[in-house]
Amino acid sequence: MRVILAFIACVMSAFALHLPDGTNQYDSNVWAAGRVENIKGYEGGMGEIFTFIQGNNYFAYGVVAIILAVIGAFILHFLIIGPKHFSHDGKKVYAFDIVERISHGIAALSWVILVPTGIIMMWGSSFGGGAFVNFMQDLHVIATVFFTISVFPMIFYWTIRMLPAVYDIRWMFIVGGYLSKKKRPVPAGKFNAGQKAWYWVAIPGGLVMIATGAAMYFLDFKAVPVADWLGISQIEVLRWSVIIHNILGIVCAVFFLVHIYMAAIAIHGAIWSMVNGYKEEEEVYVLHHYWYQELVSKNKIPVSDYEKVYDKLK
Amino acid sequence: MSEFNQNNRLKFYCDNDRCIDCNGCAVACDEAHELPIGVRRRRVITLNEGVIGKEVSTSIACMHCEDAPCSLVCPVDCFVIRPDGIVLHDKEVCIGCGYCLYACPFGAPQFPREGVFGAKGSMDKCTMCAGGVNIQTNSEHEFEEYGQNRIAEGKVPVCAAMCSTKALLVGESDIIEQIYLDRVSARGYGVKNIKESPTWKIAYYTKDRV
Ligand code: SF4
Ligand code: SF4
Repeated sequence: MRVILAFIACVMSAFALHLPDGTNQYDSNVWAAGRVENIKGYEGGMGEIFTFIQGNNYFAYGVVAIILAVIGAFILHFLIIGPKHFSHDGKKVYAFDIVERISHGIAALSWVILVPTGIIMMWGSSFGGGAFVNFMQDLHVIATVFFTISVFPMIFYWTIRMLPAVYDIRWMFIVGGYLSKKKRPVPAGKFNAGQKAWYWVAIPGGLVMIATGAAMYFLDFKAVPVADWLGISQIEVLRWSVIIHNILGIVCAVFFLVHIYMAAIAIHGAIWSMVNGYKEEEEVYVLHHYWYQELVSKNKIPVSDYEKVYDKLK
Repeated sequence: MSEFNQNNRLKFYCDNDRCIDCNGCAVACDEAHELPIGVRRRRVITLNEGVIGKEVSTSIACMHCEDAPCSLVCPVDCFVIRPDGIVLHDKEVCIGCGYCLYACPFGAPQFPREGVFGAKGSMDKCTMCAGGVNIQTNSEHEFEEYGQNRIAEGKVPVCAAMCSTKALLVGESDIIEQIYLDRVSARGYGVKNIKESPTWKIAYYTKDRV
C-alpha cells in the first residue's frame, strides 16, 4: 500500500512541476516554423477530416446513439432473459488478491469519472461551456492519472490469462450462455471471452487513450519526437490523437457499460468478487468451467458438488 | 456604416514581395495587447530560408476565415463571426480543449499555460484588434482578456498600422484586392489575381473546405 501511495505521490508531483508560464515559442512545433507544415498539410490532410467529423457533431451524436442502443439491449435482455442467480450460500473460490482488487478498484473509480466527463465535454455546448465543463475537463485529467497508475498491475497480473484460447470461439458462438435462461457450464477459463475482449479494449486501448490524451494535454511537446518517428507534422499528430481518442473513447464507453451491466445486474452479485476477492463456487463452476477444472486438477479446491447437478464440459 | 457582404468582409493580406521579415507586426501585437510571453498571435514565417530567389517571408495570424473551421469544431460553440467577417470568441465559455487549433489551417489559436498543473488556459488568438464578445466594449476587463479594441475606436489593427513596408494589409476585401492589383501592375510581376495567390486561396477561398 505504501508503495502505491508513494507512486501516486510521484506521479502527481510530476504533473505539478511548475512549467514556466511563458514558454518561448520561437522554435515551437505548432506555432513557429512548424506552422508552415500545418498549412501545407491542411488541405486533404487530417485537419479537413477532423473538421468534417467534429463539425457535424458525429462524435457527440455517435456516442449518445450507441449508448442508447446498448442500454436498450440491456433492457430487452433484462426483461426477456433476466439476470442469472447463483447460490451465494455455497463454498467460495478465492479469485482475486489484494493488489488485483485495489488496482481494479482504482481503475473502476477513474472510469466512472472518465466516461461521463468525456461525454460532457463532447456535449460541451449543451452544458453551456465555461466553468462547469472546464471543471469536468480537470476531473478527466486527474482521473487519467489514477487510471494510469492502475493499468500496470492489471497488465502484470492478467495479461497471460487474457490471451485468447480456442474455446473462446465456442463461448462467442453461444454468447456465454447469456441469451438463454438455462444455467449450464460454458467454455471459459478464469476469464471468459467477453472479459478478454473487454481487457483488450480497456488496457491496450486505455494506454492508447492515455497517450493520445497526453498528446492533446501537452500539445506542443518537444521532448518526445513523436512527430519525427511518425514522419508527420506535430499538428497532424494532434489531429490523429483527437480522432483516435474520440472513436476509441466511444468504444470504451460502450464496453464499460456492458461490464457494469454484467457485474452488477446480469450476474447477480458478481461484483463482490472484486470487493472481497471470492467468487461463488456455482458461478465458477458454470461461468468459468475450465478454470474450475484447472483448480481441481491442481488440488487448489475440492471436487464440487455441482458436478452432480450440471454436466461437465470436455 | 457600410453594408458587409462577401466582397467587403474585413481581411488580412500579406504581400510577400514587400515583407522584409522585420517582425515589427508581431512585436507591435505583443506590446499593444500586453500578451503573456508564451502567446504570440501574429508571427512572421520565412519559407525556403537561404534559397536564393525562393526565400519569402510572410506574416501569419488568424486569417478570419469565411467558413472558420475553428468555429465549426468548437464543442462549446464559443465563436462569433461578426457580419464584417471578424472571427471572435468568448474566453469565458472556452474550455481550452484545443479543437480549434486542430481544425485551423494556420495554427492560429494559442494556449497560455496556467495553474499548478500547467493546464491549458482559454484559447487566445488574433481578434483583428476587435476585442471580445459578450463583454463591455473598451472596458478594462475587455483589455485584460482580449487586448485593445482598436476597431471600436475606428483604428486599423496595430500590426498593419505599423508595418513599415505596408506589406501587411487589412481592410475590406475589395479594397485590399484593388491595392494589391495596383501594386502588381506597377511592379510588373506577381500573381495578378489575388484570389489565385496561395495565401488567399487557403485562407479565404474555401467553399469546399468542409
Ligand atoms: S485562421 Fe484559424 S482561428 Fe482564424 S478563423 Fe480561420 S480557422 Fe479560425
Ligand atoms: S479551445 Fe476553446 S475556442 Fe477552441 S475549440 Fe476548445 S472550447 Fe472552443
